[in-house]
Order: sequence, then C-alpha cells, then structure tokens
Amino acid sequence: MSRLLAAPLLVALALAAAPPPALAQTTSADLFDDGTLQELRLTMSSRDLQTLRAEFTANTYYPADLQWRDVKLRNIGLRSRGSGSRSGTKLGIQLDFNRYSASQQFLGMKSLVLDNLLQDPAMIRERVSMAFYERMGLVAPRESFCRLYINDVYQGVYGVVEAITSELLARATDDPTAYVYEYHYRGPFYGEYLGDELQPYKTLFEARSHQKEADSVLYGPIRDLFREVNAPDDSVWRERVEALLDLEQFVKYVAVETYLSEIDGILSSAGMSNFYLYRPTGSTRHRLVPWDKDRTFSEYDSSVVAGADANVIFRRALAYPDLKTLYLDTLAACARSAATQFWMEREIVRDSQLIAPAAAEDTLKPYSDDDVTSAVGYLRTFPRRRPLLVLQEVARIRAEG
Amino acid sequence: MVLLLTATAAAAQQPTAEAAARADEPGWRFTWDQHPSLLFNDDIRLDFRFRVQSDWRGSEGEIGDSHDDDLARRRVGVEGTIRNVVDFQIEREISNDVDPWRDVFVNYRRYAVAEVRGGKFKIPFGLEQNTSATTLDFVYRSMASQRLAPGRDQGLMVHGRVARKMVRYELGWFAHDGKNARNSNAGEVYGNGTAAARVSVQPFRKNHPLVKDMLLSAAVTGSHVDEGFPALHAHSALDAPFYTSKVWVNGQRQRTGLEFRWRPGPASLKAEYMRVSTQRLGESLDDTDLEPLTASGWYVSGTWALTGEKKVDALTDPRRPLFRGGWGAIEPAARLEGLRFGSLDAGIASTSPRADVVLGNADHAATLGVNWYPMRHVKLQVNVIREHLANPAVGPAPNSPTFWSHVMRFQIDL
Repeated sequence: MSRLLAAPLLVALALAAAPPPALAQTTSADLFDDGTLQELRLTMSSRDLQTLRAEFTANTYYPADLQWRDVKLRNIGLRSRGSGSRSGTKLGIQLDFNRYSASQQFLGMKSLVLDNLLQDPAMIRERVSMAFYERMGLVAPRESFCRLYINDVYQGVYGVVEAITSELLARATDDPTAYVYEYHYRGPFYGEYLGDELQPYKTLFEARSHQKEADSVLYGPIRDLFREVNAPDDSVWRERVEALLDLEQFVKYVAVETYLSEIDGILSSAGMSNFYLYRPTGSTRHRLVPWDKDRTFSEYDSSVVAGADANVIFRRALAYPDLKTLYLDTLAACARSAATQFWMEREIVRDSQLIAPAAAEDTLKPYSDDDVTSAVGYLRTFPRRRPLLVLQEVARIRAEG
Repeated sequence: MVLLLTATAAAAQQPTAEAAARADEPGWRFTWDQHPSLLFNDDIRLDFRFRVQSDWRGSEGEIGDSHDDDLARRRVGVEGTIRNVVDFQIEREISNDVDPWRDVFVNYRRYAVAEVRGGKFKIPFGLEQNTSATTLDFVYRSMASQRLAPGRDQGLMVHGRVARKMVRYELGWFAHDGKNARNSNAGEVYGNGTAAARVSVQPFRKNHPLVKDMLLSAAVTGSHVDEGFPALHAHSALDAPFYTSKVWVNGQRQRTGLEFRWRPGPASLKAEYMRVSTQRLGESLDDTDLEPLTASGWYVSGTWALTGEKKVDALTDPRRPLFRGGWGAIEPAARLEGLRFGSLDAGIASTSPRADVVLGNADHAATLGVNWYPMRHVKLQVNVIREHLANPAVGPAPNSPTFWSHVMRFQIDL
C-alpha cells in the first residue's frame, strides 16, 4: 500500500523540483528563430520616452526594463540608433544589457539592436540578406522579427538584430577576444591611404572592443592596411596586404554583396559603407562582417562588376587571377545556392507572411500598406531573375578572360 | 622667518601701562589681545581677522583639488559687537573668485533665550561642520561633515539657551540646503528653501568639571529638491570623487544628525552620525515612486594634549610657547570614519538612474595625526590617512581598494 502511494508522490516531487521547461531551455537561438514573430516589451519612464523621442539624434542612454517571454531584465540601457533610419516617431533602438549592471546579459548577449526597418518598405531585406551571408559561409549577425511594445503601446514591426560584439565572434569564429570595429560613413572613402596619423582611421573605424587599449594598438594595423593597399604594385603587394586583410574573405564578401545587388556597401558609388571589421587577437589580419543590409535587392539585373574599379582594395585584388576566379566562382555559387530549392524566394515569402499582420497594424511605419505589398512583390521577382543573369555575366567575363 | 614674525606679533600684544591708561579715555582706541581690535568706548568693538594656510598633500590615489602645495586659503574678516546687543561678522576669501564671501551675518542678542541671526552663515547641522577651521582636530573635516552637513547658506535663525543654559536650540529657515549640497555643475539639483533645527543638551553642566562639558545634540533639516540628478556627491578624504549620484531624485530631502562631544581635561572625544535621504517620487521606470537615495556618514575621533592644555580652552594659546621656554602645545589625534551612498532596498544593485536598488559606494578611513601649536596664532598639522573603498573602480585608486594619503597644513590665524 505504502509503495503504491510513494511512487506517484516521488514523481510529483521530481516534477515540482524540475525547472520550468520554457525558462531552462530558452537560448539566443530561440530569440533569433526566423520562423517566429517575437514579442518584446520595454518599460521606461514616460518622461524619458518623451525626451528620447524629442532628442532622438543624440546617443543618450535611458534605463528600461525588457520582457521577452518569461525573461525579464531590469534596468538595461536603451538609446536611439541609426544614421538615415533614425527617427523620433518609430525609434531605432540599441539595447545594452550591461550598461548599468556590469554582469547583466540577455541570453548570453551584452547588447541587441531593434531595427525600425524604416528604409525598406518590404521590411525583410535585412534579414534575408544576413541569412544569405551565413548560407554562403560568412560571419553575419542573426536576425528575426518582433512586435515591439513600449509601455504597453505597440510600436510596430522591428528587426531583432544580433549586435556585432565579441559574443557574436565567439559564436561564429571561436575568438571571443577579437578586436571589433564599426565602420562609420563620413563621406566617400574607397580605401585610399589617409596618411600616417591615426586620427582619420579612428574617425572611420570605431573600436567596439578593447576600447581602453592604446590608439597605436587599436588603429595602427588599420592604418598599415590602407598604406599597404595603396603601396606600389610590385611582387610583394599581395603578401603584405594578405598579412593585414584576409583577401579571400574580402573577395567572397564582396561577391555575396554584389549578388544581393547592394547599393550601399563596399562597392557603393558613394564609397564604402555598412560593415564591421574584426581582427583576431595576436593577428594583424582583418575580416569583414556585414551590417545594415536594408538597401540590398536594388536591381535584379545590376552588373556584377558595378563599382569594381572605384574601390582601391577590390580593384587591386581582382588583378590577381586566382582572386578574380574566386570572385566569379562565389558569384556563381551564390546564384546556385539562392536558387536551390527556391531558397531565397521561400525566405522572402515566409518572412513577408510572418510579419504581414503585424506590419498592417504598424501605424508608425513611414509607408502605406500598398507600398509594402508592392515592395514584397518586387522582391519575389529578384530570386527568380537574378541567378540566371548573374551566371550569364559570370560566363561572359570568364570567356573574355 | 614666519615663526619669528609671529613671535614678534605675539610679543606686541602684551598690554602696556600706556595702553591701559588710554583705555579709560573716550573715543576710538586700538588693542591687540587675541586679535587686532578697534574699540569705541564700551559701545563698539571691531576684531580684525586674517588667516593664511598652506597644505601639502600626497596620495597613492587621485587627489581632488588642483595642487599639491598651493597656498590654499587666505581669508580676511572683521567681527564685532555693538553695545553688547548686536554681533556681526564679515569674512571673505581672498583667493576665491567664485564664492568669496563666507560668514556675513548680524546677530541680535538682547535676550539670551531668543537671539536672532540673519545673513549668510552655517546651517545648524553638524558639530564638526560648525567648528571653525582654526580649531579643527584634523587638517580636513570628516568626509561626512564635508559632504552631508549642509554648510553655509543665507537665512534667518532664532537661537538661544534655556533650562539654566543646559539646553541650546537653533531654529532657522534658509534659502537652500547649504553650500556642501551644491557643486559647479549648474544642471544638478539641490534643496530649495530649507528648515533646520538643532537641540543641544549639556546634561551635566552643573555637575563635576570632568563631565560638565559633555554635549549631546540632535539636528534635522528638511527641504524640497526639484527633479534632477543631485549635486550631492561622495568624495574621499582628499576630495576625489568616488560616487557621483547619477540618479533621478524628486521630492523631500531630509537630514538627520546626532552629535556627541566630551572634552575632559587635555583630552577630547567626539562622534557624529548623519544621514541624508532624498525622495525619488515618480522616478521608477513605470513612473511610480522609488525608495529614497540615501547617504550616511559617521566618525569617532579622539585627541590628547600631551603638553597638558585643557581642550575646552582650545590649544591655540599654549602654556609654554616655543622660544619662551617650551615647545608649544602638542596633541596627537585619531579618527575613524565612514561615508556611504546608495539606497536601502535589498536586491540586485544597478547604476541605472532609475534603479530600484542603487549601486552606490562606501569609503572607510582611519586618520592618525599630530597637531602642534608652537605659539599663539600658529598651527602645524600632520595627518596620515588610510582609506578603503567598497568599489575602488570608480574611486581615486581604481586598481586598489585600500590606499594611503598624507597631508600637512601650516596655518597662521591672527
């Protein structure tokens, strides 16, 4: 009799002692699950919110609470973000979880970006682009979508973007101590040598890790990179540049960007834009990470060599036959990968359907519902037409030698 | 050289028969007893004051003020009495262009039970804060006295002695809550109109000489602080910031203080505790109230005049001055103290300006010192200070929770 009673009791005790399943298993992968429209809730002082909207051009931090599922973080740091996408109406937001509590993290992350998707009426370019970079074997931030509420008021659809930090690099490259730099667009810059002083490079490349280290340590290798890139064309150019820039990664990066018809990237006619650099500890070799890809899919028939002559690094890299071949091979691989089982078109359709109801309710977006429908309609033509056109141009370039 | 000049000045103060004779004549006359003075019959007395001091400081951590060996202060003033009914004092810092005026007040003392003082003077809060710098037992006041006691402000005060002078009371209204609650940052907030009250009791005033000086006091102040970041910051013994109060406050500020002083013979024992609490009404992330921002401080100090002078008489007039058969007055001193900023709630602390639990900081210090009064008007003080910060990262020695400092002060007060 007693055994009969004891068995269910033990089971009940074991169940009671077990952690709540949702809480125990929640990871950053759940937050970036691209098949789920997340819901994030921020609570902040109404006075702070008023000030933030009025002074959205400043980078002032405000405290806020964040709630996602059962996870609640107290007193995180929140600030306005973005350049062209900054807005006091539909705020672009950066969340820094350790701003006020040094040890506080959210699912292992120190910061997160809530992209207001202001420059893309389809609202999905950024996420599909980043997924494609990753599909092509390049490091890229993870992204998903969310409904954002501030003080229980719906703010619209946002992109949830993994910040490019040492945590991302630890996940993607096993190097949590790498030097990370955000490139800031200050005007046309095509990779020219800006002189021996470090300040011009410091202005363009903001250190996002190791900030307390000396400028010579932080920016010396970046200055050296652009000096060597612009050095006379001789037998040691490649060797010297290779020591400062992973040229193969650079060429592949540009190829993916070109396939995506990015008009605001490395080969942009207005100069380089929208990327991060990282450099492993103990190395001088830099690599690129994509950022802010809401100007991709611009023209499905854009040339794969558009802007190639303007950028110093790319122009000189492509003078080497093996790098040129790598570029063309990567473009062809992009075309095949995007078309395989209609991957890119399926991504576009799924994302647009996922956010459609929330986007319709988004009254703060600066475009109409018809604009959204039209933009998505165009995007769906891109993966159908782009692969063949790219493969044809690649074949033509190969034939021309 | 300075000592010789001061010794000469002291010699000049000896009353002569001629001066005594002139004292009986009507009209203005000049005397130099404790200070150079002008007297008009028995009706008006004007005492002229001049003080100059230099500090030499060193520390393993950062020092808050600008120089290691600057001529820190030059101060002139005049204080006087008119017909034994009105007192007044005017004191000005020569080397301070920002806030040069110190005490500027008039005191009407027709009735001992209810005197009235108006002008700029120290708010009645804090034993050490209300002690003149010339008679301090240490080079610097305790951190709590410097930061939490309000200091000077413009106001009106009624004060007096009652119950056979065993009880002294002070009730005042001031424009703000004192100079110590402000700083040079105009964007930071401090108390508006401030009410202050202090009651001091000498319970054994009529008893044995050994205990009759014993003093117990309690003081409060109350004021409203507008919404903003408070200008009340925490600084180390040598004035380096270790907590800057970037926390929204809004509402009432209340100070409470307890004081103890006992000066039996050549010794003294003093202790104070004070607390400043500032409300944070409507300052939470969801616009509700937060627990007040609090700051508290304390100290216990003791001195012993090895040369036998009575502490109640101060040591400024040594029994056997230097060059006159003695070494002056020599007095070792020791002090333990603490200063803490934060909030009272338990939980995960944060530096957020709207944190439920404010991640503050605390400093504990021990000071050993020697005061030497070689002759009247001259004082030399040496202090060695050991400090320990709870969170050294935001303090004067970021890599070390414990650090040592030293300071020497030379002071002439005429």
